[in-house]
Parts: sequence; structure tokens; C-alpha cells
Amino acid sequence: MKTINHFLPVTLLCAFLISCNKDDDNSLPVEANTVTNLHAPQTSNYASNPPTIGGDFIKFDFSQGEVTTSATDWDIAFRGTTILVNGGTATGIAEEPPRTGNAAAYLIEAVFSEVTQITASQFIQDASSGPAIRTGSGNGWYTYDRTTHIISPAAGKVIVFRTADDHYAKVEILSYYHDSDTNNDGQYYTFNYTYQPNEGVTNFEK
Amino acid sequence: MIINKIKHFICLLLTSIGLFALQGQEKEKVTEQQLEEIIISATRTERSLSSLPLPAQIIASQQLLVVNAVRLGEILNEQTGLITVPDYGGVEGVQLQGMDSQYILFLIDGMPLVGRSAGTLDINRLSLGNVKQIEVVKGPSSSLYGNEALGGVVNIITAPPKEGFQGEVNYRYARIDQHNISTQIQAQKKKFGLTAFFNRFSSKGYDLLPETNEPTITPFINTSLFSRLDYALTDRSTIKITARLYNESQEIQTSGSVLGEQISNEWNLGGQFNHQFSNRWALFSTLYGTRYYVKDHLYETSQTGASRFFDQRFIRPELRLVFNAKENQIFSVGLGHTYEYLERTSFIVNPTFNSPYFFFQLEDQWGEKCQVIAGFRYDDHSEYQAQFSPKFALRYRLNDNMALRASMGYGFKAPDFRQLYFDFNNSSVGYTVLGYNAVNSRIPSLLESGEVDQLKIPLETFAQPLKAESSLGINIGWEFNPTNRLKILVNGFRNDIKNLIDTRVVAQGNDQNIFIYLNIDAVYTQGFELDINYKISDHFRFSGWYQLLYAKDKTAVQEFKSRQVFARPAIGAPAQRIGKEAYFGLFNRSRHMANLKLYYQYPRAPIDANLRITYRSRYGLFDSNDNDHLDQYDDFVSPYALWNVAINKHLKAQHKLGLGINNVFNYTDPSNITNLPGRIFYLNLSAKF
Repeated sequence: MKTINHFLPVTLLCAFLISCNKDDDNSLPVEANTVTNLHAPQTSNYASNPPTIGGDFIKFDFSQGEVTTSATDWDIAFRGTTILVNGGTATGIAEEPPRTGNAAAYLIEAVFSEVTQITASQFIQDASSGPAIRTGSGNGWYTYDRTTHIISPAAGKVIVFRTADDHYAKVEILSYYHDSDTNNDGQYYTFNYTYQPNEGVTNFEK
Repeated sequence: MIINKIKHFICLLLTSIGLFALQGQEKEKVTEQQLEEIIISATRTERSLSSLPLPAQIIASQQLLVVNAVRLGEILNEQTGLITVPDYGGVEGVQLQGMDSQYILFLIDGMPLVGRSAGTLDINRLSLGNVKQIEVVKGPSSSLYGNEALGGVVNIITAPPKEGFQGEVNYRYARIDQHNISTQIQAQKKKFGLTAFFNRFSSKGYDLLPETNEPTITPFINTSLFSRLDYALTDRSTIKITARLYNESQEIQTSGSVLGEQISNEWNLGGQFNHQFSNRWALFSTLYGTRYYVKDHLYETSQTGASRFFDQRFIRPELRLVFNAKENQIFSVGLGHTYEYLERTSFIVNPTFNSPYFFFQLEDQWGEKCQVIAGFRYDDHSEYQAQFSPKFALRYRLNDNMALRASMGYGFKAPDFRQLYFDFNNSSVGYTVLGYNAVNSRIPSLLESGEVDQLKIPLETFAQPLKAESSLGINIGWEFNPTNRLKILVNGFRNDIKNLIDTRVVAQGNDQNIFIYLNIDAVYTQGFELDINYKISDHFRFSGWYQLLYAKDKTAVQEFKSRQVFARPAIGAPAQRIGKEAYFGLFNRSRHMANLKLYYQYPRAPIDANLRITYRSRYGLFDSNDNDHLDQYDDFVSPYALWNVAINKHLKAQHKLGLGINNVFNYTDPSNITNLPGRIFYLNLSAKF
């Protein structure tokens, strides 16, 4: 996994904006990054009926911009096509990490750059009825082709997150395959995200 | 007064075109007698094709012979304005002016064929042996034919018996182990005429994708028997009885092993009594019945689908009265009743449809130059709203070699049995399809049992009965015959279809979708076609056709216009909003289609030969990027051209030896074009006695 830095243009832009606004001297610039090939494997046992899905969830922390193994300091977690948030209650699936924070999520139909402001009322958390980001083809972030068996991130779906410690981030998943090539192995996430490091700020503008 | 106004308007409109024509006019006096082509399907009266105000065409039996066609699909695919397309379950349908097979009515001698288990009537059920001609009427024709004639009508006219006794035996062998044997005898003696035709068609099938479990087409054998009896009761009264029997058995295979066979049986029985009261009044009465029955016979009765069947019956009595008021003025009135019954697995009931109807038509001539057809039909129905289908058509002769024609008509297709009563569950893939009328009985119980959690479409949506799909079609054509050898036809068309029925997800259960048939879409197809026929010499003939087609969903156009549709320009790239220029249109529609044909006849040998090329530009079959629409970022089927050649040697004018290659350049696209098995050599022998 590596992190590509999109810092420079954003930093410059922010620097410009900040320079025009003398009141906000202490605010940090928003962080816009791409995460490539985040490997989130799952194990499947088809001998049982229904098949049992297992394996560790791979946790991700927006403030660090990295995968983490911390039990508390994580925002979202990946396993196969399932994405959990560090907020709410257990969904009831195998080996899910306990929630310790206040994370939540919602999906919005938009181009990534268009999402400039969060809508607080839209956030939902994981619950026994299912994760905040719904699973199943066409329900959440992906579609599944029954003929080719390819998982494609639905175009125009942006996931807005509230992090475990009440910051905000937005994510566009770009690919589920290694190096974004659908001929390669799956369960490798590539996504763009923008993280608002300033507490209480509900936009992604600076 | 209105008539005069219309005439004046048209005259005004055409003056400019007329002037242009006068310049190029070179009156070629060719002594050759041109046989007037008579078409029945356009008006249900005998009509010369050349003066018809509607877009229509005739495929003469001669055309079938020179290309050695034995099944209906083989000949329709080469016709101007038509292409054949593979459909679910290995059947083949046609597309006409961008309208697909579900919306085209198929008739034999004016009597409809039934048995569309998945919407498409398999045109390869029909063998071509005793055919006089095939007539194709383009555009909505419900004013005469009612249900299903939304996009057009294909009518197979069988050959009437000729004086004396004649017989013919025909055998065609084609690579891919295809055998076609036909025998025909016919006799007429004074008042009594009899025709009998037998055909057996078999194939070992073929497999374009050997790595998949099932062959593309599994082996099959089918037989057809057709007989027609004509009897002249008096000078003024005739009786005609036609009977057709069809049987097919096709293997059902999985992973190389034969699981069983699918057996189809069909019969059609028609009785006609016609009486000419006087020179002016004539009565045509018909009683027609048909049954189409298909059943899967699996050797292991425990297999899923072991007893799957489809059994449709159709009965229609009809009376028609034709009054020749004066020369070129014909009134037709008719009334009839359609009864339909279906029994099928995965149905909530065994439904019955009853539909009485009547129609009226006037064929008239206004002045010297203007030909008119006006008519309507009213169809009542036991299960859905009554339909009123008007039609108006006009042809205006500008001068000896130019004419203009315009027509407007309404067409409808009633919701079929499946769209109303289906209750089908595919447990292996995990989905359910419900007919519209099955919603109120099935959904509440599924909700109660907790099998589905939330409804995506509220139940109130289903309060009103499902509406018939309907279309308004306009055709405007320009005919130009600068010389006797050259015929040019330009026809613009637009069909506006509303209440299109399609499936949508009504609810989601445990990872399974429940689909329902609904009136959802409004679509249009529009474009123009150019048709050129040129007789280069007495022995050499050329024809060419081109069609430009735009077929789009109106809601989709709006969604693209307001930039609500997303796509990724490449895999792994960020999504973008895409505009209306990125919208390609409906699935399985090519923007450009064309054919070129050359026929050569060498009279001394005598030998005839021909070359036919058909072309189809790219088209999409699937929404590969899952944004619900076909756009430029989806996967497309590559454009292709098919080359067919044939050469026939005639021996003593009675016997014929035919050789040919269909698909000379061996074009195949295994995953997308399943009805194209690659290059096929064939040999055709026929003997008359």
C-alpha cells in the first residue's frame, strides 16, 4: 500500500484562501490523497450453507492516512466488499471489530469534487440490521456482474464519512482490483479521499 | 374543402422537387412489360405495390430461389429495412425501423402466429417451400391487424394451386450438418385445387464457445406439413381450407451430457368462405384456430424445470365486407372476435383473453393524382383498456416519375400473458420475476413472511391496470424513377412508443431481487432509409439500401441532458457526469445499416449468380458500466459485414443445382452474435416433375 500525495496544489490553494481570511490562522489544510491497492482479503467457506465468510478486517484511519491495527484509533474497516465504520453496533457478521468511536457514513450520488459540504442528518451507523454502507450489488458502493463476476465501483457514488472522533471525510472508490486491472486479483481497494482535519468543519473546501 | 387544402399544400411543397426532376427527366421508352406487383397485407385488398401510400415491400418467391433460402430468418436478414437478431433461448427475431421482434406481427395468409414464450416469435419455425411471396408492411398497422402490429407486419402468402399436376423435391445440405428436405405436390382440376408441402429440417447444432457448459445451438429436428385446399362452390363462392402442422424436438444439454429434449408442437387451421354478391359487394369470412405447445422433457424427472411447459391457444372468427363503390374507391368493414388461452408453468392463473373488434377502411382516389387510405380499428379487451387505432395514408403523384407519400398510424401491443401473470423464481441465480397482476397477491405475503424487507416501488403504483404499449408512427417517402431501370426511394420515419413494458426491481430480499413488469418507458425510433434498385442490363441487377437510425429512451435523454448520469472514462478513473452526446440509445440498435446486392443472369447456360452483402455498425447489448444506460463508455459489439454468394445452374428449366457460401469471410462473434455460426457452404438440389 502506498499513499500518493496530492498535497501541493491543495496546500497552495489553501494557503491562498487562508491568506485572504485572517481569522482562520490556525486551521489546517484539507488532505486529499489516493490510496492504492489496500488489500482486504476475506476467507470463504462454501462447504457450509450458507457459506461462512471470515478473516480480519483491515482498518483505516483518515487522520493518519494509513492502515492501522489499533483497536480504537480507526475510522473504517474493509473485508472483501464489506466496509464497516467505527460507530454504531455490531452487524452480526464473523470477526467484526468492536466499535469504539462515533463514526458514521452515507452515500451520495455525485462526482467526487462536487461534494463540498456534509449533510449531518444523512449519517447512519452500523447496526444489527446491517452496515451503514449496504452490501449487495447496486445497494452500496459497487455492482456485481453475474456473468463476468467482476465487482465495479458504481460510478457517481461518493461515500461521506464521519470519523470516529467527529471529523469528516469523503471517499470515491476507484477499483477493487490490484493495480486497477480487473484481470488481476480482487479485494485490492484503490480510492480517493479528502479528509477535513479541522474539528467541527463540515466542508471540504480548505 | 379540407381535401383541396391538403392537395394544394402538397403541390406547393413539391413544386421545387418537381422542377429538379424535370431537368433530369429522360423518358426512356422501354418496351419491356413490367409485371404489376400485387400486395395484400397493406390494405387486406389486392393492391398494386407501386401505387401504395404505405412503406411496404414484397419478397417474391424468385428471390427465395436464387439465394437458396429455406427458413424465414435466412431471407428476412437480407431484406431492406430488416435484420434478424438472436434472442433469449436461441430463438431468432427481426428488427424493423428500430422496433424489435415483440412488436412485429407474423401472419401466414393473413392469420396470426402465436407462441412467444419469451416475447419473440422464433421466425425459424417457418420453412419456405410453398411461398408465393412474403409481404412486409412497415410502421404501425393496428388499424387493420390490432394487437402486436405496432412496428409492422410480416405476412407469408402461400402459393395457390396451378392448373394440372406438379411436384417438386428439394434437398439442401449445409455444412454444420444441416439437412433440409422439402416435397411439394399440387394439383388443380376445374373447381378443386390441392397443395401439400412437407419439410424436414435438421441440424447437429454448433458451439461457438466450447468452454461454456452448453452448446450455442443444440441438435434439433423439425418437420412441417402444410396443406391447402381450394374449392370453387359456384362462380361466385369459394372455400379455402389451410392446415399446418409443426413439430420440433431439440436436445437440452449441460456439460456435454444430454439431459432431455424440448418438444414443440404447433397446429394452425384456417377455413375461409368468400362470396362475391355482385361486381361491387364481396364477403370474406374466416374461422381460424391455432395452438402452440412446448414442453421440456427431462430424463431425470427430479431435475428442476422437468415439467416446464407453455401451451397457448388462439381462436378467431372474422367477417369482412368489401364494397367497390366506384373505380378506385373501396370500402372495407370487418368484425371479429379473438379468444386466447394460456397454460404455463410459473403462472399464477391460467389466463383467458377475449377481444371483440371491428374495423373500417376506405381506399380512395382524389382527383387524378392522389391516392388515399383512411381507416381505424376498435379492439375491446377483457383484461385491459380498449384500443382505438386510426390510420391515414396518402400518395401524391407529382409526375410520371415522381411521387410523394405520407402515412400516419397507431399501433398497440397488449400486455402479454407473461407480463400480467408471471411468477417465476430462478433459485440458482437468485431472482424472481412477477407479472403485474401477481403483485397484489405475492408481495404482501412476502413482506409478511419477512422474505423481502423494503419496497422500492410502492404498492399504490399497481392500483391501475397495466396499459397496452402503443405507438404513433409517421412515414414520409419520396419515390423517384428517373428511368424505367432505376428506382430510388427515400423514406423518413418516426415511431413514438409510450407505456413500454419492462422489468424493474420492486423489492429486495435476502440478496435476491424481485422484478416486476411495469409501464415505464417512452421511447422513439427515427431515421430514414434510402433504397436504390438499378437494372444495369437485362441480365444484371443491382440494389442497395441504407438506414440511419436513432432509437432512444426519452427519460434517458432527459437524464443525460440534465447531467444525472455518471460514467468512468476508463477503468479505475474517477467518475464523471456525462452529457447527452454520450448517450448511444437503445440496446441492440445500430446507427447505420446497409445492404448491397448484385444479381446476374446468364440466359444461355442458363446460370444465375448473386452476391449479397449486409452491414451493421456497432451496437451495444449490455450496460457494461452499470449506469442503467447505453453510453459511449459501455462495451460495444463490433461492426460487421456478411458476404453471401450463390450460383445456380438450371437443367432443362426443371431441375436446379445450387451452390453457395453464406458468410464467405467466416465472421463470428461467439459471445455476442449467437445466430452466426461462421462460414457455411451449401449444396441445393431441386427437381420438378
